[in-house]
Amino acid sequence: MTLGHPTDATHLAQCGDCQARATLGALDIDLDRIWSGVAAEVWATPAGRFERGAAALLGSPGLARALVTTPSLVLAWVLATAAVFAVGVVATYTSDTPWVALVAPVLAGAGIAYAYGPGADPAFELGRSMAISDRTVLLTRAVAVFGVNALLGVAASLVASEAGALTWGWLAPMAAVSALALAGSTISGSANVGVGTALGAWAIVVLGSAVETRDLASAANPGALAPAYLVVAVLAGAVALWASERSGYGTPLWR
Amino acid sequence: MAMNDEQPRMREHEMVTTTAAHRIEVRALGQRLGRTQVIEGLDLEVEAGVFGLLGPNGAGKTTLLRTLATVLGPSSGSLRLLGLDVADGRERRELRRRLGYLPQHLGYYPNFTVFEFVEYFALLKEMPADDVRRAVARAIERVGLEDRARAKLKTLSGGMLRRVGIAQAIVNGPDLLLLDEPTAGLDPEQRVGFRALLREIGEEAVVIVSTHLIEDVAAACSEVALMERGRIVFRGTPDALAALGDDASAGDSALERGYSALERGYSRALAEARA
Repeated sequence: MTLGHPTDATHLAQCGDCQARATLGALDIDLDRIWSGVAAEVWATPAGRFERGAAALLGSPGLARALVTTPSLVLAWVLATAAVFAVGVVATYTSDTPWVALVAPVLAGAGIAYAYGPGADPAFELGRSMAISDRTVLLTRAVAVFGVNALLGVAASLVASEAGALTWGWLAPMAAVSALALAGSTISGSANVGVGTALGAWAIVVLGSAVETRDLASAANPGALAPAYLVVAVLAGAVALWASERSGYGTPLWR
Repeated sequence: MAMNDEQPRMREHEMVTTTAAHRIEVRALGQRLGRTQVIEGLDLEVEAGVFGLLGPNGAGKTTLLRTLATVLGPSSGSLRLLGLDVADGRERRELRRRLGYLPQHLGYYPNFTVFEFVEYFALLKEMPADDVRRAVARAIERVGLEDRARAKLKTLSGGMLRRVGIAQAIVNGPDLLLLDEPTAGLDPEQRVGFRALLREIGEEAVVIVSTHLIEDVAAACSEVALMERGRIVFRGTPDALAALGDDASAGDSALERGYSALERGYSRALAEARA
């Protein structure tokens, strides 16, 4: 019967709606279930191409959705990063200082610090009670943010190079600074601390190199220091993993 | 005929409540935040039904719920939830698939629609992909937000956001549902509907509700515990808590006198615990 309608036989004989429902009921058709299915199709927003691709790649629609909700991968953030790289390209042309290589590590570090964590992700606490662990989300987002920043860095360094040749001097520092930002934000539970860690560490390296060599550009050409940057990246990444495990379960650090 | 339908269901329900898979067991739980011992030596066993958690601010209710939701690891003690050992990573993941949690402060993505938000957490709970959309639609209907399903969260009122939070908590049909101040911001009509929903879910699941509202406990809970300074100082039925109040409870109607008795019982249990 239709909700709110009388249930007597006289009403049933006169009401087309109730007759239709009675017929469907006799056929054992669950109208509520049909309605839920229709409503779901009407209300749902189809996943975008990127999300569908990420779901196939990661083997998890949930992780793919977590990836596309990364705060530092929203369009505005990526455009802002691209704009800073563009300014770096212009500054490189006009000053003969490799500004692209100098800003790339900090941009990536900031993006990674804001990829996940309290203050960066609004639904962080809820996310920590989910079957797909916060550690998995953190690592997936960090890798994706690093990848996007590396791609932008490659594009910017290609454009900035007068010879059109690709320079890779910024990549090892970018890995180290990103890992430091991840460790800082994970241990402290603050994206701002992560950004501060990245900015502070890179500033020390750049200014230290400049004082020693009297050349601001020297930090962008690590040369023999590249292995050291990679060691720092591995160690800081390991610390971030350890901290994310402890904060996810065990002695909590994120509070 | 209706009785015949009910009887097997009741027997099945009684059977469900006696299995470890529908029970939570907390042993000697300690929870330290910085230098503050928020929970100390807490033992708790809860079976299917709606369990109310009362207590003043700072009593440790939210910390207990966050611990049960596996958001915080225990500083000491052990938890076995729905028959699963939460210290084991694999069992914790299995538990989280069967868990619903509404935090005290629901963080949300302002540009998500109601449907997208609930769907996001259904996916993070690793629900079978084919079931997700229908389950999301059903959860949205159960909290009465079907007319706002495509609205962006930033356009909703506080009460509506609370209902969105409840929808994501129940979307997976949880066996353990943890709700921290779920009725905050709901209007009286919505609270009545929500209590009915709680009772329905509590027929098969363990539902733990932290609240300041005595009337929520009276209307929805089969059992209630009173927390004070990280310990449970009273546990019993709402009637048993009301019985702690004196006979001269104020109020014009039986309902008001009932609430009044509960409040007096609450105050007396608290005063005795503090003494």
